[in-house]
Amino acid sequence: MARMKFICDTERCIECNGCVTACKNENEVPWGVNRRRVVTVNDGVIGQEKSVSVACMHCSDAPCMAVCPVDCFYRTDEGVVLHDKDICIGCGYCSFACPFGAPQFLSKGAFGVRSKMDKCTFCSGGPEANGSVAEFEKYGRNRLAEGKLPLCAEMCSTKALIAGDSDVISTIFNKRVTVRESNGKYAGSQIWGWSTAYGPSGTPVPVPTPADKIPGEKS
Amino acid sequence: MKLNLKTLGIFLVAGLLLVACSEPPEIAAKAAKRPDFAPYMGADNGFMTKNWTPGNLQSWTEAINKRNQNQSEYSRVK
Repeated sequence: MARMKFICDTERCIECNGCVTACKNENEVPWGVNRRRVVTVNDGVIGQEKSVSVACMHCSDAPCMAVCPVDCFYRTDEGVVLHDKDICIGCGYCSFACPFGAPQFLSKGAFGVRSKMDKCTFCSGGPEANGSVAEFEKYGRNRLAEGKLPLCAEMCSTKALIAGDSDVISTIFNKRVTVRESNGKYAGSQIWGWSTAYGPSGTPVPVPTPADKIPGEKS
Repeated sequence: MKLNLKTLGIFLVAGLLLVACSEPPEIAAKAAKRPDFAPYMGADNGFMTKNWTPGNLQSWTEAINKRNQNQSEYSRVK
């Protein structure tokens, strides 16, 4: 069974925000809510500026699921973390628990009243009939049930963001970093566990890249 | 006897008040977790890709993995 994951290649992301736009349009995400966003660090520093596209990472041991007081989350057989908006009470605990800031709330009315939580669904809808109007209105498109992958990844012009079965996308990423290494760029292929997106249990801690191997790094 | 009627009345009023505080069954039913539909069952909305059979897990997995390779230039450009 597939275990769906995202990987964002920071060497390729050009901060075009195409993924953000694609997600908002495909799922008709309301104004004020961004299921996906691009984060840039070292802005303007030549050789060190890196961008990464972030959304729900569909964690294997999701903290949002652990803290939800009404237990509205569930994990599908494909490893996608979803939630039932009919159960969600909009308390915001998941927002505090999530290390990626994935849970989003639409601010409605006075006094900052929160809506029900909204987040990336890996384009696989929610607990409504696949492809139904009810599912679309609450959760957005269900592209997985249409035999497609999340649009943010499929739209990515540089293929920095890749999505799909963790084993498959890990293999794609492995190929890239292996080619980079063979071209004299800094190493990276050995820090990935190939059976899971984040490395299986017992994976040794990666050795930091020497400063003289990082372009632009001051030694 | 008089006391019994009064007690009965209190119990009746208390009972009615408690009923007013209860949750209507349709709301209580909505709070239950529902099973989701697996993606390999397909979507009945006319946007499905054609290269797999809805309801067949293996067919769906193969189609998704094949589509996945579109994200790799090393697979697309040979």
